[in-house]
Amino acid sequence: MEGRFPNRTLPYALVLPSIAIVAIFLILPSLQALYLSFFEVSPFGNRRIFVGLGNFREILTSDSYRSSLRLSLVFAVAVVVLSMSVSLGMAVLASKPLRGIGFYRTLLLWPYALSPAVAGIVWALLFEPSSGLMTYLLRLTTGLSPNWMMNANYALLVIILAAAWKMLGFNIVFFLAGLQNIPDEMVEAAQMDGASRRQTFWRVIFPILSPMTFFLFIMNSLYAFFEVFGLIDVMTQGGPGGGTEVLIYRLYQDGFISIRWGYASAQSIVLFILVSALTTLQFRYAGRRVFYA
Amino acid sequence: MSGRWKLLGAVLVTVLMAAGPAAAQVKIKLWHAMGGARYDAITKEISAGFNKLHPEYVIEPLFSGSYAETVTKGIAAIRAGDPPHILQVYEVGTQTMLDSGAFIPVTEVVKPGEIKWEDYFAPIMNYYTVGGKLSSMPFNSSTAILYYNKDAFKKAGLDPEKPPATYKDVEEMGRKILASGAARGVITFGWPAWMFEQAFAYHNQLYANNENGRKGRATQILFNGPFGVEVLTRWKKWADEKLLMYGGREYAPNKAFLSGEVAMLLQSTSQVTTIEKAAKFPVGTGFLPHLEGKPQGKSVIGGASLWVLKGKGRSPQELDAIAKFFKYIGQPEQSAKWHQDTGYFPATHASEKLLRDEGWFKKNPNHETAFKQIQAGPDTPATRGVLLGSFVQIRNITDTALEKTFSGKLSPQATLDEATQEVNKVLEEYNRLQK
Repeated sequence: MEGRFPNRTLPYALVLPSIAIVAIFLILPSLQALYLSFFEVSPFGNRRIFVGLGNFREILTSDSYRSSLRLSLVFAVAVVVLSMSVSLGMAVLASKPLRGIGFYRTLLLWPYALSPAVAGIVWALLFEPSSGLMTYLLRLTTGLSPNWMMNANYALLVIILAAAWKMLGFNIVFFLAGLQNIPDEMVEAAQMDGASRRQTFWRVIFPILSPMTFFLFIMNSLYAFFEVFGLIDVMTQGGPGGGTEVLIYRLYQDGFISIRWGYASAQSIVLFILVSALTTLQFRYAGRRVFYA
Repeated sequence: MSGRWKLLGAVLVTVLMAAGPAAAQVKIKLWHAMGGARYDAITKEISAGFNKLHPEYVIEPLFSGSYAETVTKGIAAIRAGDPPHILQVYEVGTQTMLDSGAFIPVTEVVKPGEIKWEDYFAPIMNYYTVGGKLSSMPFNSSTAILYYNKDAFKKAGLDPEKPPATYKDVEEMGRKILASGAARGVITFGWPAWMFEQAFAYHNQLYANNENGRKGRATQILFNGPFGVEVLTRWKKWADEKLLMYGGREYAPNKAFLSGEVAMLLQSTSQVTTIEKAAKFPVGTGFLPHLEGKPQGKSVIGGASLWVLKGKGRSPQELDAIAKFFKYIGQPEQSAKWHQDTGYFPATHASEKLLRDEGWFKKNPNHETAFKQIQAGPDTPATRGVLLGSFVQIRNITDTALEKTFSGKLSPQATLDEATQEVNKVLEEYNRLQK
């Protein structure tokens, strides 16, 4: 940095508000959660029993927690892969000079502008087992009438589709920005050298896009782990039979419906560790393949 | 600070303009979970009616989401030290509230003789009286009944005035309905775990030990015994035969029934008015179907009651306002109107008489079904309703267990065993944290 502050306290005073916000809304609650995770707490908070690592032991030995974890991983992988590949394809199409492209681009953005609750209601109505449009079309075309209130795999599939769809707009905007930043000369040079369109895309465009792809990969993973609560709450409430109870929804159930503060706090700590580990791994392995031009 | 004063000033001006000279109004916050037709009934009828009658008091109803969400919000507010004056808690939260120490018993808010408790219906009083003491104000009481689509019955060649009486009837009539194409599914139900509880009470079986938690805190759930397994095995058989079209928890299955896809629905009586209004076909109602060869019990009370929360202390005016409000909702006219608007029981004999004199039940037989059903069985520990700590969580576990069977993941015995283990652990933790 070139410039220097005239006195020593001013810079601290300037960053103080943001530090205060982070401390009050992030750090303190996290510490409190860590503290509570060693207790069993009565619903009204008037009695607590120290249980040491009891809550963590319960988490690690619980079959249902393990199945929830497996479910979350399957869910996250499916959402990230589906959402990113489809949006990359769409972004490529939307980067082409077409008539009325502004209109299409606006439409592509729409899903992201919807709140999770609204998106959830739309999808729930579409797949409603008795009167949903998709249910009707499925019955018409395949003769099957799947009921996602009863069939856990089908419920998971619908939730994955909805979650991936919800993320499309966000991904497309970033991919589109990345694509537009690629200098035309590079593409032209590749074509001059006789690269086919496929080669141009995979050998030139895709690598240049990789920082964006990596960024989106992280964002989408975080989304799939942490931000799908609204969708699931509106659509399946974790059912049927726990078939869509991903970790974050389970945390909500245990913390806010069952009011088991201690157990839920321990879960949030476990979730925090899991996601930190995952992100580190991503940076370490996927991050290496990123090509910063 | 100045912003707050401005806001206060604005509120004061508004209040003064609205209410004229009555400056020192006492405001009573009421958090409730009444959605649908019930929302208008509690806000526009009950609260507004009371406020008009008592200009010095203002009841401020606030919709707080589902029952479970309302309880959770209430608990959070109690912990934060600023709870509403009145919290509507569904029957499931009764034990938790009793153990909270955060409420003022209704019998202390209302002076003796101000409300004639003996005029209230026995099943309602029996549910909310624990250890001989009434702690909360009975408000919206329901039970579960069977709704059916008369058109579908006709189309299937069945007598549209004769709902199924037994599980066997459901199966035999159901097969006819499916074969004739009158509907694509035969039966569905809301509140699955509650229907499971109903099945126990309806056949006079205990759901939890210590007389359903009424003789002392329950420590064990009993639903993985032969009776529970038999009921769930039958339900599973219905699912396998495509008779049962499971439609999710709470009120979600209403859609399948109202769209004509499913011919019968087990649901709370709180939906009578809503369903009659929304259905495009004549709706019939009947008793819950009986499982052959099992003793006769009685369907159990559901719904919610109103709890007066202590907060940091309540002023005499506030307590007076609450007492007057409770008296108001128990009046025959109010109770009868509430019943007509929703389907919940009119709470007192006087309100029932008023409705009979009006000829209401003759004109609206579907509103009477629950009445007949709840008076038809014996009053035993099994039919007074289950009291469990952490019941909200236990309902959740039970719903999940039932769904696991319907989706074919686990057999009825296996799923109930698993759930029993889980529930007993929850009860153990709850009981450990009390006393």
